[in-house]
Amino acid sequence: MSDAIRHRLTPLERSERRLGFAMLAPAFLLLAAVVLYPIAELIRNSFHFNHLAQPWMGTPFVGFENYVKALGDDRFHEAVLHTLLYILVTVPGAVVIGLGLALLANQPFRVKWPVRLGLLLPWALPLVFAGLIFRWFFEFNQGIANAMLRGLGLEPLNWLTSPGLAFFAICLAIIWKSSSFVALVLLAGLQTIPKSFYEAAEVDGATKWQQFREITLPMLRPAIFVALIFRTITAIQTFDIPYAMTNGGPGNSTETLAMYIHKTTVDFLDLGYGSALAVLMFIVSAVITSLYLRHTRRDPGRH
Amino acid sequence: MTSRFTRRMATRLGLAAGLALAGAAYAQAQTTLRIFTGGQQRPDVMRQIVDGYMKANPNVKVEVEVGGATSEQQQQYLNTVLASKDSALDLILIDVIRPAQWAAAQWAEPLDSYLGAEKDAIMARYLPAYRAANIVNGKVIALPYFADAQFLYYRKDLLEKHGLQPPKTWDELKAAAQKVMAAEGNANLRGFETAGAPIEGTVCTYLVPLWGSGEDMLKDGKLNLASAAAKKPFQLWADLKAANVTPPNLAEIPTDRIRQNMQAGNLIFGMTWGYVWNRLQNDADSTVKGKIGVVPLPGFTADKQATCIGGWQVAVSAFSKNKAEAAKLARYLSSPEVAKQQAILASHLPVFPGVYTDAEVLKANPWFEQALPVVQSARSRPVTPRYTEVSEIMRTNMNAFLAGTKTADQALGDMTNRLGAIFR
Repeated sequence: MSDAIRHRLTPLERSERRLGFAMLAPAFLLLAAVVLYPIAELIRNSFHFNHLAQPWMGTPFVGFENYVKALGDDRFHEAVLHTLLYILVTVPGAVVIGLGLALLANQPFRVKWPVRLGLLLPWALPLVFAGLIFRWFFEFNQGIANAMLRGLGLEPLNWLTSPGLAFFAICLAIIWKSSSFVALVLLAGLQTIPKSFYEAAEVDGATKWQQFREITLPMLRPAIFVALIFRTITAIQTFDIPYAMTNGGPGNSTETLAMYIHKTTVDFLDLGYGSALAVLMFIVSAVITSLYLRHTRRDPGRH
Repeated sequence: MTSRFTRRMATRLGLAAGLALAGAAYAQAQTTLRIFTGGQQRPDVMRQIVDGYMKANPNVKVEVEVGGATSEQQQQYLNTVLASKDSALDLILIDVIRPAQWAAAQWAEPLDSYLGAEKDAIMARYLPAYRAANIVNGKVIALPYFADAQFLYYRKDLLEKHGLQPPKTWDELKAAAQKVMAAEGNANLRGFETAGAPIEGTVCTYLVPLWGSGEDMLKDGKLNLASAAAKKPFQLWADLKAANVTPPNLAEIPTDRIRQNMQAGNLIFGMTWGYVWNRLQNDADSTVKGKIGVVPLPGFTADKQATCIGGWQVAVSAFSKNKAEAAKLARYLSSPEVAKQQAILASHLPVFPGVYTDAEVLKANPWFEQALPVVQSARSRPVTPRYTEVSEIMRTNMNAFLAGTKTADQALGDMTNRLGAIFR
């Protein structure tokens, strides 16, 4: 089949095809330089000892030693566990809140900008700012959270220095920050649902809740899926907000995998081990994404 | 028409030539040096000092780059700059714990050849601890900029009001804090604070009581945390916490928060560094001007007081393109006259014993009289090229203990395991 096509190409078509490749080449080379080369270098590093604080040790090849070390490293296990917990809480959390926000923004308000601004503002804010703002909310003495508790006559809580509360505070910040992105994706999805569906449902006497369950949710499925994939991938890489709020504390109890990798490479200068950890994170990320993709590909067949 | 055109052309050409000449002369004469300092090390005072240097050396322009507030934040940034061999920084202010690490990583240009025959005479002027800290394997890695140690800051007015003497032991401190807090009845008034957040200063929160009980973390280069003394720091902080002398949020307190709380009048005792004095006395928003005293830190017994040595050094980057000029500036920054200037402007402790007794310095900092013996007896945190890892292990475990997420045994056990892998 492809042979047949190639035979049928005229010289002009062939030269156009060559031109096409030539015009793609710069983009491909750029991509190779900023994506493929670093990934190759990362994988190569992960099989070597490379510790910049000990340059006299050289960078000998150590095989799977860094990976074996990771498997026996409690701190790595804890960081993976924390990352998974963040995913489990903040991905559904952001989708539920984001859906609510999208439905709200989709209402026929006369003045739309306050809602739209409320949607865009958290999304436009740099992550680390969001982390710092929430850190001050939950600060022990001056924080607004404890001010509210004191106002209610309750004892102030150690929000950022007890593991459970710190996890809760960080999740809250992440959900606040990321639900607006989810809402934007879902809002786009909502606007593709034809009004006539709801009018027909109204005529048939369906309640608002039935309309939501039978029309909105099924029609929104693809958009929800896109939002889930994006949110999950960014949740795997959670770094800025816990970094700014607790820096992983108390102890290491809120440290994520990305934070541990950063600490190992940038603070400890242990590039070999840090690279192995990064490759492991890449694998986790790839597995989760492929599960999603398989699910979406199966999806149309079920309907 | 032609003449006007030629004239205009000539002016333009002349102007361009003049500019080019001026530019060339400028480029020949002017060396720009960039110095990195931390937000906590009084960059404003550093600017005043380099302004003086630029006036005396018109061929040199010095830019001051200000980095993070804590030692480990600064190092994080410097790690990325120096690991990539970036020449953007010529001089860098480094913490006293860093020279061994910087020598091992080959980030600091050894200064021996720039000091020449005067090397031994120059180094002999410094306090012995700073001489020792900055010479690694016989090479001068950096020159000391200012000294530091932890002291006990206390509210002179409150202690006098309640008939108390500044404490010499931790038990006296606990009793004094409890008495003042009970008598004052101010809900915002805390008894005692030291660094408890996962930051560099928290390493000293562990080491000071350890030294106070007569042990050290390393013995002959081997880890030495098996004795009963290794548990003493945990017991001390647990005891002060149980007595409500330390606040419930000790685990989120970084170094400068102690100063802020003291400045706001919310703290009776603070274990912190030399710079705090100047801020408490001179900051516009300080509510405790003239109400503060400074004494050596308490010990478990009055005769065994210990403290952590601090202080900042000027290193010349190994990747600088102006090393000779940079070394000259480093020598200036590490001179008795700059030490005196810093002492007066920022209450930075001098690295030269003679400056402590200078009349102007004593006028600005009356407590410097007792400070010299404290700095002289202050002890060093472990010296190792892998100090960032050592520090991280100690401060996160101490932080976890202070937050109550690890028991003393868990924290000490985790510390021993992880440090054991480094000090094999």
